[in-house]
Amino acid sequence: MMPFDHVNAGSPGEAVDLLTSYGGKGRLIAGGTDVLGILKDRILPDYPDVLINLKTIPGMDSIKESGEGLNIGALAKLADIASSPEIKAEYPALSLAAESVASPEIRTMATIGGNLCQDVRCWYYRYPHHMGGRMLCFRKGVGPCYAVKGDNRYHAVMGGKKCFAVCPSDTAIALCALQAKISIFGGEGTRTLPLEKFFTPMGNVLRSNELVKEILIPKPTQETRQAFIKFTERKPVDFAVASIACVLEILGGRCMDARIYLGGVAPMPWHAEAAERIIKGGSLDDPTAEEAALASVAGAKPLKGNAYKIEIVKALVKRALLRRQ
Amino acid sequence: MRDKAKLKMKVNGKTHSVEVEPDASLLEVLRDQLNLRGTKKGCEEGECGACTVLIDGLPVVSCLTPALKCQGLSVETVEGMEDGKKLHPLQEAFLETGAVQCGYCTSGMLMSSRHLLEKNTNPTAEEIKIGLSGNLCRCTGYVQIIEAVLSAVKKIKESEK
Repeated sequence: MMPFDHVNAGSPGEAVDLLTSYGGKGRLIAGGTDVLGILKDRILPDYPDVLINLKTIPGMDSIKESGEGLNIGALAKLADIASSPEIKAEYPALSLAAESVASPEIRTMATIGGNLCQDVRCWYYRYPHHMGGRMLCFRKGVGPCYAVKGDNRYHAVMGGKKCFAVCPSDTAIALCALQAKISIFGGEGTRTLPLEKFFTPMGNVLRSNELVKEILIPKPTQETRQAFIKFTERKPVDFAVASIACVLEILGGRCMDARIYLGGVAPMPWHAEAAERIIKGGSLDDPTAEEAALASVAGAKPLKGNAYKIEIVKALVKRALLRRQ
Repeated sequence: MRDKAKLKMKVNGKTHSVEVEPDASLLEVLRDQLNLRGTKKGCEEGECGACTVLIDGLPVVSCLTPALKCQGLSVETVEGMEDGKKLHPLQEAFLETGAVQCGYCTSGMLMSSRHLLEKNTNPTAEEIKIGLSGNLCRCTGYVQIIEAVLSAVKKIKESEK
């Protein structure tokens, strides 16, 4: 690893001031589980002079429930989110998503803000510099996407254009399905937007002097049914090959509203709107779930080696919709 | 060159003040500056768990922990597990069941097991598997490690009778 300096921020304002004063040579660190991997392998041509430690900001790791919903500080650890009894009871999709991330050690360190901001896992993008040189690809602003002609078994089957890496965040799809908002703090103050609008095909909308401050989730109604299912090659530790989070409003046996998001299949959390339209207003039986599963992958454009993901997504959609809980 | 920084942290109950490089990992400081070589350097990417230690009682991979993040915190390593000359029941059980082969994963396994038993005094085999899911072992096939943790649970219960 190349050398860097390490400074502690005492407040969000101070972190933003530090980002500004280091002018692009400062990088934020919270749990560090993603950023240190990136630095150790020197996958990016740009290397920071300094890491700005957010974990020293007091109070930004709180999990607060109110009558209106849940406020989660960006520094809340995934382990605390997974084990919170309130989140288990009212926001099970989020609880399961947080629990599904990596290993106990990583969940102790990793934060919800970091989980949403983490970089992609594409093996071309992540190729270590010390093993023959980093790969300069479209995502790094120079070159093609090597996944198109290469081994693309874990790449996008939907929504890919110039880069086919998938958004790896498990909590992102759960939070999108729960209609979470994200509060961003920066030089120009605080802005809040629906989490879905946070993600872009090449990452997210964070500006160079901004950080994620808080996640706000409205309280689900009594009629809400939630599911989160993640398909991995090994049960724990792995990133999702494909995953689903859904939040359904069921009233008198009918599905009044539905939000279905897919993970691991697209550069962003994938909103399966066509599947939602099919199940809205009717009862959730086997044929409807089957039809929704087909609709969820309509228009998918698999690469040479990842068409298998489409079959997995269909199975996940069906399972999640028919799950009784 | 960047200036070294002062780091004060507790390791296994003893306060240490050391001057560290700002980019040093906790793993490097433990092994190379405090001579605590029980904590192993494996993948250095947070995947293998060989470098697991506890910070304020919670398991972390020390390879991905900048040492300066431990300012004022309390770190426990495998060297702190025994009580005087007496091994911790988990250490005894690992020896007795053959859970140690090459030994490279052992200290990480012990630290994760210790945290698991602090949270859950009577884990099932499945809960042990989940608790140790961040620790890779390429020798044992894990069977003896799970037996060791189950055996340690018994030992701890008997000692409390």
